[in-house]
Amino acid sequence: MDTIYGLVPAMLLLALVSVVVFFWAARSGQYDDMEGPAHRILDDDDPLLPKTGAEKPADKKVD
Amino acid sequence: MSDSSGACFHCGLPIEPAALQQVVIQGQNRDFCCSGCMLVCQAIHESGLDGFYDKLKNNDALAPPPDVDRNLEQYDLDDVQAEFVTTRVNSQHKISETTLLVEGIHCAACVWLIEHSLADLNGVITANVNMAHHRLQLRWNRDQVMLSAILKRLAQIGYKAVPYNQEAAEGAAAKRHKALLYRMAFAGFGVMNIMWISIALFAGATSASVIDPEHKHFFHWISLLIATPVLAYSGWPIIRSGIRGLINGQLSMDLPVTIGALATYAYSVWITLSGSGEVYFDTVVTFLFIILVGRYLEGISRRNASSSTNRLMELQPRSALRLLDGETELVSVRALRLGDQVMVRPGDKVPVDGRVIEGHSDISEAMLTGESQPVVKNVDDRVVAGTVNGQGALVVQVEQLGKDTALAKIIHMVESAQGSKAPIQCLADRIVPWFVATTIGLATISFFFWLRQDFDTALLAATSVLIITCPCAFGLATPMGIAVSVGHGSKHGLLIKNGAAIESLANISHVVFDKTGTLTEGQLSVAALHINSAQRLSEEKILALVAAAESRSEHHIARAIVAYAKQQGSDLNSVQVEGFQSLPGLGLEVVVDSHKLLVGNRALLEQQQLSLPSALLDIQNRVQADGGVAVLVAIDGQVAALIAVQDQIRAEAGSLVAALRQRGVGMTLLTGDSQAAANKVASELGGMVVIAEVLPQHKGQVIAELQAKGERVVMIGDGVNDAPALARADVGIAMGGGTDVSMDCADFVLMDNALQRVLFGIDLSHQTLRIIRQNIKLSLGYNLVLVPLAMAAMLTPVFAAIAMPLSSLAVIGNALRIRRLCRPNN
Repeated sequence: MDTIYGLVPAMLLLALVSVVVFFWAARSGQYDDMEGPAHRILDDDDPLLPKTGAEKPADKKVD
Repeated sequence: MSDSSGACFHCGLPIEPAALQQVVIQGQNRDFCCSGCMLVCQAIHESGLDGFYDKLKNNDALAPPPDVDRNLEQYDLDDVQAEFVTTRVNSQHKISETTLLVEGIHCAACVWLIEHSLADLNGVITANVNMAHHRLQLRWNRDQVMLSAILKRLAQIGYKAVPYNQEAAEGAAAKRHKALLYRMAFAGFGVMNIMWISIALFAGATSASVIDPEHKHFFHWISLLIATPVLAYSGWPIIRSGIRGLINGQLSMDLPVTIGALATYAYSVWITLSGSGEVYFDTVVTFLFIILVGRYLEGISRRNASSSTNRLMELQPRSALRLLDGETELVSVRALRLGDQVMVRPGDKVPVDGRVIEGHSDISEAMLTGESQPVVKNVDDRVVAGTVNGQGALVVQVEQLGKDTALAKIIHMVESAQGSKAPIQCLADRIVPWFVATTIGLATISFFFWLRQDFDTALLAATSVLIITCPCAFGLATPMGIAVSVGHGSKHGLLIKNGAAIESLANISHVVFDKTGTLTEGQLSVAALHINSAQRLSEEKILALVAAAESRSEHHIARAIVAYAKQQGSDLNSVQVEGFQSLPGLGLEVVVDSHKLLVGNRALLEQQQLSLPSALLDIQNRVQADGGVAVLVAIDGQVAALIAVQDQIRAEAGSLVAALRQRGVGMTLLTGDSQAAANKVASELGGMVVIAEVLPQHKGQVIAELQAKGERVVMIGDGVNDAPALARADVGIAMGGGTDVSMDCADFVLMDNALQRVLFGIDLSHQTLRIIRQNIKLSLGYNLVLVPLAMAAMLTPVFAAIAMPLSSLAVIGNALRIRRLCRPNN
């Protein structure tokens, strides 16, 4: 039974870590938009059609 | 080949034949409902973003693109940008950052389109769309691209965007909401962990093999370790407001919550220190968690309701065209000084309060007065900031700026009305003093009863009473009811911005209506077409001729006639219009299909020495007496028809008024319009007191007078001029199509201007109040059963741990019934 003296504080530490992670996530705006990202993950790889006459900035990545 | 469905390729709306636009894109002939949709589709195609249309799902309805502000350049002025843009200078570049509110975002495809097309713009660093709140987070290089160019790009693909100052729009409320999330989450983690400890303690307390006292003691200390920060951090706002309420003599729900939590906690600490007995730390933590969840849910529904009314209309323009030595220059409104002259082009908003010194025009003051018909302004007339100029260019001398404008004064009036309104006391708050007194009384009685036996039992019994009455279910009764009904209302077109107002709406005794835009449509439409029986042309033919002639005019009456003709199925394209001549103040003269047409007012006919037949003369007088406009038509030198144009009463207004009358609710029509026009509406709907020709600043007073007579007043309105009254009334209901100021200060907003939702709102509030009452009874009943047990000192921690969440669950489940009990009947 002596293991609980180690395990319980470890559990509390783990809980503290998850609280910190949650606060960090909320603060960095991850809960601000609950709809968009769910759709966005499906969109990223669509290629754009080649463009006519539009200038392409050199310092930007072309996908 | 055409798309054949008769629906617009871009927005999917049915196409009116008269407005059909076609263009070949990707080798296919595509149909559009308007040139706006066509241009947007072309722009999307030219940037290679056709994938947009593949991403649309069947149920994603686009709308035709919104009208775009013509003065986008104003957003490049440093003075204007100072309000909403932050700029940092790093090694070589100036990087600016801002948040825009974007109108027209419907679905994930819109997000994709906006982000991709902006990413292609040279100088845009990041463009992130928040789909839930329709915001666009933008970072760009000032040296490479102007903000106005970005806004123009958005306009090309069919979205309108305006700067959005988050601090101003949400500010403190958003911060509070976020803090509540943190506190709730912290309590949540506390609950999860303390439960493990509690399970061990319960198991030890009930099973045959009794727990080792050493372990038990250890678990008590761990529980204390978890409960203390939860109480201090998560519980702090509740405890603070409970104590503050006690000091100020305003007892709120927070007080019994505070007493329960603190008593339970203090008792458990004492047990932990003394080393014998059972602790109730888990009860404290669970209790705080459930209360915070209830409040957080309430906060979410309220925020969703408020953010839906967050639209793009900006009342006051930010820039003006200053006239200096005959040259115009675009400057920020802040840079203007009294006595400056500004140019107001046709279609622009008037930027300042001032006096016309050159030109004449008709100005729509709808945003201020709700009056749909423009007011004619000549030299020396006063114009008001925020109103919209019609056909003519004006030169205006600045007389009032900023805080002194009429608009700013009304907004100030709204603020003071809101400040002077007493906070709504909800049902639960009224019970609180009794609840607290009874609980403390019973605890004291138990203490002294058991004191004759021994001190420990006495203390156990007294705190047991406080613990078991720990008003979790009681505390949730109101917030859960309100959260459910706010969510339910917004699903059915009734936005509830102020949840506490739901309880007030159930007890109203008097409804005050605004006229224009609330009971009436707020815009002119054709009421009837009267034909002069003495002439030969058919009714359809006359309508087609007039509409074809009017389609060349931008006048608001002309637009009403054209819309009516299209609705009647007239084909305007087959008619030849020649020699169009507009006669200011009279009407127009035009040759259509080789008929010579005169369309205009009485003065126009008199000028041409044409007289009105007596039948039409009667009709004209009647229409004018009712506050409408009679448009006279002469064809080839003969009076042919009279078109009655009127602001018509909403279709559902009649049934609403009848239903309210049936319920015995008093009604008043309150308008700035003429007595005659108001009387007409009132007599048509029946049973209303009419108060007409009221100035905006007096509308609030009328409400206050009704309240002084003991009435509980609902105000329903849509204009800026209604705003002080909306704020003053016990419950303010704004029309969704109305001005932002009115929606801002209202408690409820009717989406789609659906007036019959008022009845749904009243029913919903009755149901909600009923459910809240049931919930309060439920929680009091639970106390009634358990308190005797506690007073008998027979309470065990296991029992408390099971019984208390059960009562909360019962309350939550009961609140969810609101959704089934109350549905709009159409």
